[in-house]
Amino acid sequence: MDTLIAFLTVFSQPQLLMLVGLGTFAGVYVGAIPGLSVTMAVSILISFTFSWDVYPAISLMIGIYMGGVYGGSRTAILLNIPGAPSAIATALDGYPMAKRGEAGTAIGVTTVMSFIGGFIGIGVLALAAPFVSDFALKFQPRDYMLLAVLGILLVGSLSTGSLVKGIFAGALGIAIGAVGRDPLTFTERFTFDLRIMEGGISFIAVMIGMFGVSEALMQLHHVDKTAVRQKISRIVPSFATVRKHLPLSMQTSTIGVVIGALPGTGGDIAALMAYDHAKRITKEPERPFGDGAMEGLVAPETANNAAVGGAFIPMMTLGIPGDAVTAIMIGALFIHGLNPGPMLMIDQPDMFWFIVGALVTANCFMLLFGLTGIRLFTKIVEMPRAVLIPLIMLLSIVGAYAVNNAISDVYWMLGFGVFGYFMRHYGYPLGPVILGVILSRLLDDNWRRAIISEREDLGRFFGGLFSSPLSTVLFVAVVLIFVSQTPLWTRAKSIVMRGKA
Amino acid sequence: MTTPEPDHHDGTSDATPGGYESNRRPGELGFAVIMLIASVGLLWNAYGISGFEALSAPGAIPMATTLVMSISALIVVVRTASLPRVTTETLAKDILPIVVILFVCFLIGYAVLLRPLGFLPTSALFLIIAIKLLSKRSWRFTLTVSLGNLLAIWLIFRIVFTVLMPAGIVPEAEFIQFFRDLSGGAN
Repeated sequence: MDTLIAFLTVFSQPQLLMLVGLGTFAGVYVGAIPGLSVTMAVSILISFTFSWDVYPAISLMIGIYMGGVYGGSRTAILLNIPGAPSAIATALDGYPMAKRGEAGTAIGVTTVMSFIGGFIGIGVLALAAPFVSDFALKFQPRDYMLLAVLGILLVGSLSTGSLVKGIFAGALGIAIGAVGRDPLTFTERFTFDLRIMEGGISFIAVMIGMFGVSEALMQLHHVDKTAVRQKISRIVPSFATVRKHLPLSMQTSTIGVVIGALPGTGGDIAALMAYDHAKRITKEPERPFGDGAMEGLVAPETANNAAVGGAFIPMMTLGIPGDAVTAIMIGALFIHGLNPGPMLMIDQPDMFWFIVGALVTANCFMLLFGLTGIRLFTKIVEMPRAVLIPLIMLLSIVGAYAVNNAISDVYWMLGFGVFGYFMRHYGYPLGPVILGVILSRLLDDNWRRAIISEREDLGRFFGGLFSSPLSTVLFVAVVLIFVSQTPLWTRAKSIVMRGKA
Repeated sequence: MTTPEPDHHDGTSDATPGGYESNRRPGELGFAVIMLIASVGLLWNAYGISGFEALSAPGAIPMATTLVMSISALIVVVRTASLPRVTTETLAKDILPIVVILFVCFLIGYAVLLRPLGFLPTSALFLIIAIKLLSKRSWRFTLTVSLGNLLAIWLIFRIVFTVLMPAGIVPEAEFIQFFRDLSGGAN
């Protein structure tokens, strides 16, 4: 009964319902406008909702997250510019469809498929999270430590970039998170004897800099870029179309949930993997992939929205973020005095069920806003970058300043913004930096607990890794991910292939 | 995995990071070398926290992470150095154009002026200059869009989010009180 009441909190309180609706509406536009990303919006928003109660703050953020993941598809279809990273694969077939005058059908199918994917993700979250959190109670400090390492490694290995750069970025994030006084011994770490460094670096300043300012600086390269807008036909898809693609959507939703649930990986990677899966299993698409195949729309759109629910699983049960947005949400929960992890699920299950309820509501709002208001939409998303970029910069500064009313946070944000700008140019992923910052404390605390419990003996620590099946699996996964990205693996694979031949 | 061509090779997301796989961009090697030097410097600093005192010492994780940073930065330097340079790009045009440098200066200027001048005048100045420069449109358009957006942002963040920004030279509190009195008087 309590569960049901917590689940229905959003519906029973008009203010929360309105905030989820408002968040989803804003999210659709944030996701759709190229240059505005969900991660950026949520990281800026966290500083503004700082003084709010936790429920309204989370309601707004969940709405933006759900709407934003979907919103990117709109501009991908209409303008061939993915509004959000999770819509990169959608543009491959969405835009060719729009060019043929089928923009309405493409948007309609995308909306319904995102809705289906979203529901599957939330369903898995609701069913799996209580079991995972029960299981998580058996986790030992070393398991948490391995999970944190696994999350940081996964981002680098599943993306198309270099794993070494991903590892560098993750380690850098952990180092940033360690700046300040050590909470256990009060020893100064990376403070360079500067008083300003003693309190550490505000992770909000790092996030806004990396995702807000660096993106705005990057967009300066594209100020003069214009896109050709397509005409829109009927939006609501026929039942036959939805039914035809339902089996594929189930498969790609599963991919989405799994990738979302893996620590560190989110909708963008899920969408690309689902697109690849659709290409492999669709023997006879109505049109070739890349030329307007409906399957090329269905797969990434179901996967990226299913990944939202998936990303909440490790966040709520282990306190480990599923992706960059949930990393920021963990920060928001910390700010509001909550500590995500198995104990939160036990001590405050109502918070978990409230989040599930908010996600369901946001998903329904997404369907509503997705199938309506297209005229208003086309006007807003065509906001010139010349106006948008200065506004993002202004909001970033306000956001960084608002948390502590400290100008030093603004300087940190600018520094990380410029640094993130170069990192983007040279192929260093930003996600692992944020994950590293968020997971730094967890990693540090659990390493120290684990090694103290093994009496400071490294041999016993490694022996302990093989004494529990979970630790063994996690350790082997970490080693495998690492080895799979090295030349050693490629050489071993070619030897095996040659042997088979 | 399908890898759509990233726009301008600038890293749209972690799924499609920027740069080239088999070429090095202008300045990439310099950036990698700076990262290596910074990592080694941080490793030395981390060693200074507690040395090799104990595995659970406060410096253990900082030392481990900066060691990982140093090793990975070294690998990146070696790899990057072995790659041929992209011939079609230049540092001034594709990586650090004047407009980016200018905007970084604007942002620093904004941060410097925020406290003494206050949020409203600094933001107005920033938006007007930035929008005029980027849009290259008339003063009328620039002023309408800049001040209109600033008013909307101020109303939303000051009233909805109750964010307190430095008032500076603008008597913001008296201004708000004046309108409160007006609306109170109307009742």
